[in-house]
Amino acid sequence: MTTTDNSGDVRLSGIGKTYGSFTAVHPLDLTVPQGSFFALLGASGCGKTTTLRMIAGLEEPTQGTVHLGDQDVTHLPPYKRPVNTVFQSYALFPHLDIFENVAFGLRRRGIKSVKKQVEEMLELVQLGEQARKKPHQLSGGQQQRVAVARALINHPKVLLLDEPLGALDLKLRRQMQLELKRIQTEVGITFVHVTHDQEEAMTMADTVAVMNAGRVEQLGSPADLYENPGTTFVANFLGTSNLIEAEVDSTSGDDLVLKAGGGKLVLPRARCSAPATAGGKVLVGVRPEKISLTHADDAGEIPEGRNRLTGKIADASFIGVSTQYVVESPVCDELAVYVQNVERDGRLVPGADVVLHWSPAHTFGLDAAQDIDAGVETLEEEAA
Amino acid sequence: MSTLTEAPPPLASAAPAKKPPRRRGRLTPYWLLLPGILWLVVFFALPMVYQASTSVQTGSLEEGYKVTWHLATYWDALAEYWPQFLRSVLYAAAATVLCLLLGYPLAYLIAFRAGRWRNLIMILVIAPFFTSFLIRTLAWKTILADNSPVVHTLNTLHVLDLTSALGWTAGDRVLATPLAVVCGLTYNFLPFMILPLYTSLERIDGRLHEAAGDLYARPWTTFRKVTFPLSMPGVVSGTLLTFIPAAGDYVNAELLGSTDTRMIGNVIQTQFLRILDYPTAAALSFILMAAILAMVTLYIRRSGTEDLV
Amino acid sequence: MPFVTWLKRHLVVIAGLLTLSYLLLPNVIVTVFSFNRPKGRFNYEWQQFSLDAWRQPCGVADMCGSLSISLQIAVWATVGATLLGTMIAFALVRYRFRARGAVNSLIFLPMAMPEVVMAASLLTLFLNMGAQLGFWTILIAHIMFCLSFVVTAVKARVMSMDPRLEEAARDLYAGPAQTFLRVTLPIAAPGIAAGALLSFALSFDDFIITNFNAGSTVTFPMFVWGSAQRGTPVQINVIGTAMFLVAVLFVLASMLIGNRRNRQKA
Repeated sequence: MTTTDNSGDVRLSGIGKTYGSFTAVHPLDLTVPQGSFFALLGASGCGKTTTLRMIAGLEEPTQGTVHLGDQDVTHLPPYKRPVNTVFQSYALFPHLDIFENVAFGLRRRGIKSVKKQVEEMLELVQLGEQARKKPHQLSGGQQQRVAVARALINHPKVLLLDEPLGALDLKLRRQMQLELKRIQTEVGITFVHVTHDQEEAMTMADTVAVMNAGRVEQLGSPADLYENPGTTFVANFLGTSNLIEAEVDSTSGDDLVLKAGGGKLVLPRARCSAPATAGGKVLVGVRPEKISLTHADDAGEIPEGRNRLTGKIADASFIGVSTQYVVESPVCDELAVYVQNVERDGRLVPGADVVLHWSPAHTFGLDAAQDIDAGVETLEEEAA
Repeated sequence: MSTLTEAPPPLASAAPAKKPPRRRGRLTPYWLLLPGILWLVVFFALPMVYQASTSVQTGSLEEGYKVTWHLATYWDALAEYWPQFLRSVLYAAAATVLCLLLGYPLAYLIAFRAGRWRNLIMILVIAPFFTSFLIRTLAWKTILADNSPVVHTLNTLHVLDLTSALGWTAGDRVLATPLAVVCGLTYNFLPFMILPLYTSLERIDGRLHEAAGDLYARPWTTFRKVTFPLSMPGVVSGTLLTFIPAAGDYVNAELLGSTDTRMIGNVIQTQFLRILDYPTAAALSFILMAAILAMVTLYIRRSGTEDLV
Repeated sequence: MPFVTWLKRHLVVIAGLLTLSYLLLPNVIVTVFSFNRPKGRFNYEWQQFSLDAWRQPCGVADMCGSLSISLQIAVWATVGATLLGTMIAFALVRYRFRARGAVNSLIFLPMAMPEVVMAASLLTLFLNMGAQLGFWTILIAHIMFCLSFVVTAVKARVMSMDPRLEEAARDLYAGPAQTFLRVTLPIAAPGIAAGALLSFALSFDDFIITNFNAGSTVTFPMFVWGSAQRGTPVQINVIGTAMFLVAVLFVLASMLIGNRRNRQKA
């Protein structure tokens, strides 16, 4: 396989799925280039698994087409597609041993001498010793590796992973994330990975599509999505965002000047995904770790040109590498601020008056017509 | 939203594009169902219709029967055989209660206390099934015979004096009395009580007992407030699986009872196979079916379970 | 009082074991009396030890013939009920179709119906159709009442099966037929086996429905029933004991093999 080969491209054109009156996936276009590690990220029920299953052929799209490279596979049954899946909770065949599980796909394609290939594959996932065991005799991590081996041995054009790490504990999950990333780099196959874990998606994938309510909210590299979210859902679902309601006051050059509470905030026009005209409303966003905290007594020392807000510390929790503050401000009840524990200011305790300030370059602007809390709830559930 | 690539929802393509070629699976369930369901319709449902029709016929064996809507057959049958009906219900109810009382400890033992003996005890519960139940029922003739050790002991302890006073036994005899019949019914249908009980007990998480103990419940309270309520599905299906066949049984009454312990099953069997009074037999059978179905429906409604097995 | 404490702690075990002995007592009697040499026609009272019946298990007229008829009917009833019942179970679990409720009721009702009612109504059908009562009418009846039990057993198994296993098979290049043969059927097999075993036992041991629909054909339970009136030969106990032993040995052997296989693999 060379890099110019496009046979591993996945192209979804206007693909959508409805069940009766419920729309699981709104018609969407998506191209996953050959050799990339692509993640579909979203809360449960957002349509990401349905999208994956339409690529696998396990679900027939209500409309639109699926292409693999130049081949239209929309109406091909799964057993005729050069695509393999690592299923949620693995779906290893309980009546077959590990060897036969891995050999299953080869045998169905009529390949007689499978021994060498299977043994090599089991070595690759470090399960050579376990070949004759039944799936239930293996640990969760081992089962996961069998599932990967069972799919990869067929040299699919695209490997689909449906929440492959969901059943593993945190430590093993971290380990397997790196392992999967290594395998992907080694074999060069296109990986499409479905997950609800934003950290997992950002760690592993080079491109992430954030899905919500059957639509792709935003698509881009992890850093791009994090630094410049396009919707409140993405802003809240990926990490934490402070969102402040503001009014467009004026424009100056490439910047927008906004009124929030009594103060002014500056936002680069390029970082505002909402149409901004003077007098219009926008949501101003900034990530908690981008904000610096200065005690009100030292307000004069803050350099010029930074966005500032005044507030009062409501709560502080010491995390180790950082301290997380909750600050009450006239423009927003709860602003989150993460401060690295380098030089701790002893005056920054609950009740202290502070000035929050950050660089305009770290500000982003969102359409104010959206739900300001979209994507927040899911994150809390995740943490619980 | 520059990166968001969403196709405008095209109205035209909302209509199914080209129909995919594989749509022939729609008739599959009907082909799968057809032979078995046909079998049940012809040999289970249709006979019920024939039986209902037979029950309102009049005539004789020699001249043949005709449907005359002679509903009086039902009244006559009820008037003549209500004692047997009543007896069937009483005996079956007694056997069901006995099965529950005897079966519960054994099911509990297998589920929670048997440890490595669990499989062995399970085998011992099921294995008797493989000896014809008629042979095993005949064995009760030996066990309950007048001079058997069991009856002798009961006599010495004056238990039979008490049961005879209640009308369950006759003098110093057990065989050919209601007690013998109920004993046989209990024995025959006990496994049908134990197995569903065991199934629902086995599903109970052992930690629930520990949790109840931790929350100040004594063992008996734990049983009443936790174990028993959770085993209700087993109790419901166990009682149904015991009561229904027991109410229609005539083997135990015939082998272990006397003419005074005849149940409705005996009457139906005699009417059908010996007296050949088909309308009466069909009417009796129909009444039994209706009564059982009514009782079962009521019972299932009240206990809130839908599964029989 | 340590004895009272001990009794309290083990009350359930004692009660359970008492029930178990109640269940097994008749089998003990059957076994013991298979070595009896009764005086008269009935084998209800112990006289003296003898191996006669064991030496000549078929020494009674017609008994082994009836046994053979029962076995044949049980085998065919098992095959028929298992096949039809498995098909229904798959349809019920795997497909959506009209009249689902009616089908479920039709499966449920034979299990909620006293045998004597089914027996009597089936006889009215056969009489009305002028059918010749015998082997075939018995077989038809047995398939009918075993069917529901097979459906229940297989349905439970197929329902608990992860649908993703079949999707995985299709994903791994198995077409519909291959998926069914390589994945669905092997995984459903224990349920099908349980249904078949139950069918065999129910059919082999059935008396009431057979009694109504047998005509002049005599199955083994019918032979026993008849002998309860005419005189019970000791050979009946021999057959009963042998069946019990074969069943226990069969189960023990399969368990031992299963255990050993597991230990080797672990």
